[in-house]
Amino acid sequence: MAEIDTSGGGGGKHGGKVRGKKLSTKVDLTPMVDLAFLLITFFMLTTSLNKPKAMDLNMPKKLEEKKQDVKESQVINVLLAGGDSIWYYETSEGKMTDMKETSFGASGIRDVILKKQKHVDKQFGHDKTFGDKTIVLIKMAEGAKYKNMVDILDEMDITSTKIYAIQDIVPIEQETIDNDGKVKAGEEIVHSK
Amino acid sequence: MTAMCDVSFLLLTFFILTSKFKPTEPVAIDIPSSRSEITVTDAIKISVDKNGKAYVNYPSAPFRIQALTNMAEKYPAKYGFLANLTAKQKATFGQVETFGCDAKALPDLLNKKPDEIDKLATGIPMDSLDNQLGDWIMAGRYVDPKMRIAIKGDKLTDVKAVQQVIKTLTDRDIHTFNLITTLAGGAKKAEEQN
Repeated sequence: MAEIDTSGGGGGKHGGKVRGKKLSTKVDLTPMVDLAFLLITFFMLTTSLNKPKAMDLNMPKKLEEKKQDVKESQVINVLLAGGDSIWYYETSEGKMTDMKETSFGASGIRDVILKKQKHVDKQFGHDKTFGDKTIVLIKMAEGAKYKNMVDILDEMDITSTKIYAIQDIVPIEQETIDNDGKVKAGEEIVHSK
Repeated sequence: MTAMCDVSFLLLTFFILTSKFKPTEPVAIDIPSSRSEITVTDAIKISVDKNGKAYVNYPSAPFRIQALTNMAEKYPAKYGFLANLTAKQKATFGQVETFGCDAKALPDLLNKKPDEIDKLATGIPMDSLDNQLGDWIMAGRYVDPKMRIAIKGDKLTDVKAVQQVIKTLTDRDIHTFNLITTLAGGAKKAEEQN
């Protein structure tokens, strides 16, 4: 392709003219191919890696809001607060127990939820569609970031928690977080519907 | 060598032609990562930036123009003035991929160039008194009722702003939507690990 015929159509003897030394006109294509492949690699990587993914999020319909019988030991409350902090608590006989602070990731909240699932599984048995019957209530306290919300929803997927809901925080929960997780004596948790 | 060169340039041309440029946005949004692998192509995207301002991104130019027309037709009391926009202003609106401004400012803004409009974006009001975001979403839904709705929030957005958007959606009977994230990889399902 990249050669030009420079033989001069006959040869030196009969042509008459004196020609200079013939130079090779072959062009080295290697750098061009290198460059082409470099660009291909670049385009391939940038096009496939930049595709945004999406998470499904289903919110409950207001009309469908039926009261369900839920045992309080099935439920774990997870609260997201400012500075990437995450708190959880359970209720006992309608009363809030002290909140514990944990962290995002495998050794933190994931571990907490998995332990809870094992516990609930033993107590309430397995459901065909939902698996274990753990219910996680997610609440956003003051200062929580969107990233935290996505992380906790991701955690629901990782731990295969099927029943979870994002709820509004109630004042007593916010107060308890501000109070470093200690529940003020005699305060009872009122669950938002 | 020649054949290889041909093939490589063919591929190069293919990738250049198929790749789509990143659409211009009024604000850069740093989306959080998750392990979800669902891809969303066409959707009405609601962007929420770091400061909690909302923007709307419709999938295509004809879609945008139709949504603008719907706004004036479906809510004549509130947005009747949008019906007076000229064809040129509507065409300009079609070129603005992501817009975020008060509807009242729209007629003036649409006399400017699309990239200038991007710079002047102030966010779409979405408080309960004047929830224009909800109206824009409904206008989009009238264009195509099956169009997905996706929320594209910045990592550092206060979750309250996102919850306000979610409330806007659920108030309008939209209960299924997507959250746009990047793929993080890493963690597997807990069951698979054991």
